[in-house]
Parts: sequence; C-alpha cells; structure tokens
Amino acid sequence: MGARAGARPPAAAGLITRVEVVARRGPGGRTVLPVVRGSGQLAVRRTGPASVHLVATAFGPLGGDDAEVRLVVEEGATLAVRTVAAAVALPDRAGDRPSAQRVVAEVAGTLDLRPEPTVVAARASHRAELVATLAPGAVLTATEQVLLGRTGEEPGRWTGTTRVVVGGRPLLHTTVGLGPGAPAWLPPVAPRAYASTVHVGQAAGVLTADDAVRLPLENGWVATAWGAELHRVVRAVEAVA
Amino acid sequence: MTAALLTLADSRLPAGGHTHSGGVEQAIAAGHVHDPASLAAFLLRRLTTAGAVTAGLAAAATTRSSSGRHRGHVPSPGARSPAGSSSGEPPAPASSELVAALRHLDGEADARTPSPALRAASRQQGRGLVRVGRRAWPSPVWDALPAAPHHPVALGVAAAAGGLTPRDAAAAAAYLSVSGPATAAQRLLALDPLTVAAVTARLAPAIDAVADDALRDGLPADTDPLLDLLAEVHATRGDRFFAS
Amino acid sequence: MPPDHNLADYVDAPTAHRHGGPLRVGLGGPVGSGKTALAAALCRTLGAEYDLAVVTNDIYTTEDADFLRRNAVLPDDRIEAVQTGCCPHTAIRDDITANLDAVELLEARHPGLELVFVESGGDNLTASFSYGLVDVQVFVVDVAGGDKVPRKGGPGVTASDLLVVNKTDLAPLVGADLDVMRRDSATVRGDRPTLLISLREDPAATEVAAWVREQVRVRRLQQG
Repeated sequence: MGARAGARPPAAAGLITRVEVVARRGPGGRTVLPVVRGSGQLAVRRTGPASVHLVATAFGPLGGDDAEVRLVVEEGATLAVRTVAAAVALPDRAGDRPSAQRVVAEVAGTLDLRPEPTVVAARASHRAELVATLAPGAVLTATEQVLLGRTGEEPGRWTGTTRVVVGGRPLLHTTVGLGPGAPAWLPPVAPRAYASTVHVGQAAGVLTADDAVRLPLENGWVATAWGAELHRVVRAVEAVA
Repeated sequence: MTAALLTLADSRLPAGGHTHSGGVEQAIAAGHVHDPASLAAFLLRRLTTAGAVTAGLAAAATTRSSSGRHRGHVPSPGARSPAGSSSGEPPAPASSELVAALRHLDGEADARTPSPALRAASRQQGRGLVRVGRRAWPSPVWDALPAAPHHPVALGVAAAAGGLTPRDAAAAAAYLSVSGPATAAQRLLALDPLTVAAVTARLAPAIDAVADDALRDGLPADTDPLLDLLAEVHATRGDRFFAS
Repeated sequence: MPPDHNLADYVDAPTAHRHGGPLRVGLGGPVGSGKTALAAALCRTLGAEYDLAVVTNDIYTTEDADFLRRNAVLPDDRIEAVQTGCCPHTAIRDDITANLDAVELLEARHPGLELVFVESGGDNLTASFSYGLVDVQVFVVDVAGGDKVPRKGGPGVTASDLLVVNKTDLAPLVGADLDVMRRDSATVRGDRPTLLISLREDPAATEVAAWVREQVRVRRLQQG
C-alpha cells in the first residue's frame, strides 16, 4: 500500500508491485483473511468477508512495470478477487519493454478470480501470467478479458500464459499471443478482443460456437472466445462457459 | 545431423501422417484457407503455436532418451560403432527414471493440448510413429514410452534411437507441423503442387527459428484457440477425408 | 560402409510384424464394383462361422460403415471406419498405419477374432493392398466396366489372390462377353483363381465365401 496515487518512479526503473492475500478457514468454518497486503501500483481493499478488490493507485501499467499478485487459499477457505476498473497497459516510456503481471495462486480451497478487462494501448506490450497450483479437490475459476487498443487506436500486443497444476500434475498450460508481431496473430483471424475462463471443480464437455470453444479438462474446462468487440466476446465466452 | 533425420521427417515414412490435415481440412471448410497466401498464413500460425510446442517436447524427449546410459543403442548398419553393427554392448534397459521422464513430458503435452480431438490425433500419430520407429531404429528406449504417446514425445524418442540430436528432433517436429497440412491443402484445393512446394520451402527460415527456440529452457506452450475450435468442429463431421 | 556390414542387418525379422491373429482379407477394386455389397454378403454368410470384423476405407469417413450397420450385418463394435486423407490407395499400400490401428483396435476389442475384412475405398485398377496389412486380397471388378478390364491388367487384376468379376447378370445388358473376361483373366493371372458372380442372383456370395474358408483353413495350418 506504499504507492501514492499517480506517483511514478523515473521512467527507466519500472514500477514494482507486490500483492499478497491469504485466505484461511477460521472459527466456525468462515473464511478469514490474515494477510491482505499491497504495494506499488495496487492497493487491496477488503470488500466482503472472503473477497477483495484490487485498486490501481497509479495509471498504467507502463512498459517496464512488474506486478506480482500472490494468492493463497487454504483448505476450507474461499476467496474472491476482483478489480475496480479496467487496467490500461501503456507503452514503455524509455524503450519497448513489456509490462508484466503474474498471478501466483496456491489453492486448496476455492478461488474465484475475475478481474476487469485489460486494455492494451497502441505500441504497448503486456504479459499476463497465471500460475495456479491446486491441491486435489481445490476449486478454481479464473477469467481473463483483453482488448487490444483503446477506441480508435491501433491494437497493442498481449501475451497471456496460463498454467494450472493439480496434485502435482499439469492440467493446462497455454500461451496465447495477440496483437501486431505475435506470430500467430494473422489474418483472417486476428482478433482485437479475447476472453478466456478456466475452471476446475466441475467437469464439462466440448462445446463449440462461432469464434468460441469450450474444452474439457479433468474435473474442469477451459473456455475461450475471440472477436472484434469485447462485450460480444465476453458474452460468447459466458455462453460456452 | 545424420541421414536418419531425412527419414524421420520424410512424409513417406509410413507413420500415418498422411491421414491428418493438421486442421487444414476444417480451415478450408470455414473459409480461412482458400489460396496459397491464406495457406501460408495458416501454416505460419500452426508452425508458431502447435509446431513450437511439438518442437520443444520432441527436443526434450530426445535429451532425456539420449542422456548417459539412456542413450539409445542402434544396431543398424549405419551406426559407426567400433564394436560393429550387431555385436555392440547390450542395450541398457529402459530405466524407471526414463519412463518417468517421458511420462512427465507426455503429461506436459496433454496440458498443452486441451482439445480432445487434437489429443487423439497426436496420440494416434505417436502410436503410428512408434510402430515404424521400433522397426527402423531398434532401441530399448522405445520401451520407456507410454502406450500411444503424444507424437512429439515419440518423435523425440525416435530421434534418440536414430542417433540424432535434440535440435534434429525439434527441426523434424517443426517441419512436420507444416508439411502435412500443406500436402492436405494441396489435395483438398487442387492447388498447384509446385506452388505449395514453394510455400513450404520458403517457410524454412521460420521452421529453423522455431527449432532453435525449442532448445531454450522451458517447454513452449504457444497455442492458437482457432486451431482448437477447428479441430473440435472437424471431429463431429461425418463427411471428412482426414482424421484430423 | 562399415567393413563388417552384413545384408541381414538391414532387414528386420520377417515375422516381426505379425504374431498370429485373425486372417486379414483385403477387398479392393474400382468404385461401384460391389466391394461393400460383397463385404456385406461375406459377413452374412460367414458371420455365424467365424468371429469376424470389418474395416472400411470409404473416401468419406463412414458411408460404407453405415451401409454395413444399416444392413445389420455386424454389430457396431465390429466395424471400424478409417479416414484416408483423400488418398485411399495410400492408406492400403504406402502408409497402412491408420488401417493397422483399426485392425489392432478390433483385435484388442475381440480377442477371439478369426477373420478381418479390410475394404478399401474405391480406387482405380492400379490399387492393391500391401501384404504388411493383409494376408490375402480380393480384387472386385464388374462386367459393367467393360469386358476389356481383365485384359488391361494392373496389379489388382493380375496379382490379387482372388479376382471377382461381379454383376454377371448385367452382361447381356452391357454387351459384355463373359467368356472373353474369363479367358483374359486366366491369361493375365496364371494359376490365380477368378470367380464370375452375381450378388443379385446369389446374395450369399457362395463361391467367394468358400474361397475365404479355404484361406482361413490354410492360415490355421501354417500357424500350427
């Protein structure tokens, strides 16, 4: 929580953001949050007994910024994580470094991670990563919503990696690259908007739609949709989720 | 590189590749591929996603299968062994560590291939490669593979058994990720085979780059959700020519 | 070349690829000559005698398999359809992987299997089965294709283990001379048998079934 709103270090340094939230099963089975800690660009607000909102305290991220959000959900506990507004990833002022955000989650209980969209401005490059390590029986829902370019703007570049490990075995590991320069972002399918949800806890089979697909995982599924407009894409991914 | 790489990457190696289109059949049906330029775009997407992943897995499988006492013994006349072709030291048994290492890679391949149709296609081609590979390059390392392994894992083991390097295995995987789909598109669209050959040939620098990247630390995980969607829609069709 | 190279090192053991199992019979021939109808007839006639299954290679995935199912010739779990990648002759001759997978799947599902028919997708007169896939092969042509077909030859006509000339009932209608076909077949095929049949007149394919029985018997003798 050390960052002052709007304050930024010299451009070359890049802002370091660290968030940590621990959810624990408390007396009577209710979840308590013994650790709720934010620094750099993100503050953490408790918005319910088992939920937090991440609040940006500076604009960005900018290229060169580095954020890590560490989430621990112990057995029997539940944690919901939200953000209050879309994040707008902006270009590096000093060069062409990407901004990075890693979510590292250790889940033995239930984690529900649904941030607002990430908008990647023209010439910006953003790298998002989710590494979720689940105990057997853990429940995870994690969503991602991406829009390349603000209104009327050229698309930026986004790379998103998701790795989910359950009981020591890799369940899902994918990296999606979007935007100019991403090798597989080629006409005729080069979408500006992308949404994805991964769920572990309840199985579901294959479902296909126009520019959307749900794939089964052991005891879970992953749904993906893409297109020109984010609101349509979000509806599409919810339709196959 | 030895000539074994030419055999391994040859589309005429009877490993079942000709019945798979790598998504091209459905990409054509969906209108994404209709001419040489759109085919080139499709091949590039496939090369840099599925191709990169298979190259990484194949290289890793070769590394594991070749290390130390796990190095595949190759009792073929081509092997320049001072002990001769069939009187060399007996092949090391497939160790439990190698079994575990290959099973781990197979699990990483599953995690990178959530589409059931693509998993089935990969395992079907892996099984086909094991069938011919065991005959072509006898080695105890084959016994370390799980039944119906993912194709890149089998490819890495085949490379090790054939005396090839991880870079060779990556090159074969990257090349095969485009050569099969290119041929399939040629058949389905009746494209000029010379034009298609030129497209494939001009992808060589991109194929080399993918093979080089495959040797870096960490297995690639690049994916293209479009290929997943095409594969799943294709699998439900009763009127398809290709298995995938 | 290593100084001690031995030609035997280049060749793997000749029996490495087959360990007993059912007799595998290839059914090939041009489009429309009656391969699927013959497969159905043989299944009906021989189904009660042998534990049998069929692999189909229709150019489209499932059409022939659906035909066999519709005709209730065999239960679903005894029919496997394979895709041939637009290239039916490749799938039975140059790269037999998909067909081997299908045969092995059927063998695993039915451990007592005695007989498997592999029906090729309709192709031209040059198509023939690899003996890595089948033990014996039947090539099916029909009289409607013209009585010059046997004389033209091609690997299917000359080298198949049995040549079947189907639809003899149509001979008067299409002006085909069965004697010419019989004589030309004998000329190009030497000692290999040829059967002129009409599945319309003999839906049991009696003579072809008898030939298949003999092949099963011979294989059992060879296997001891």
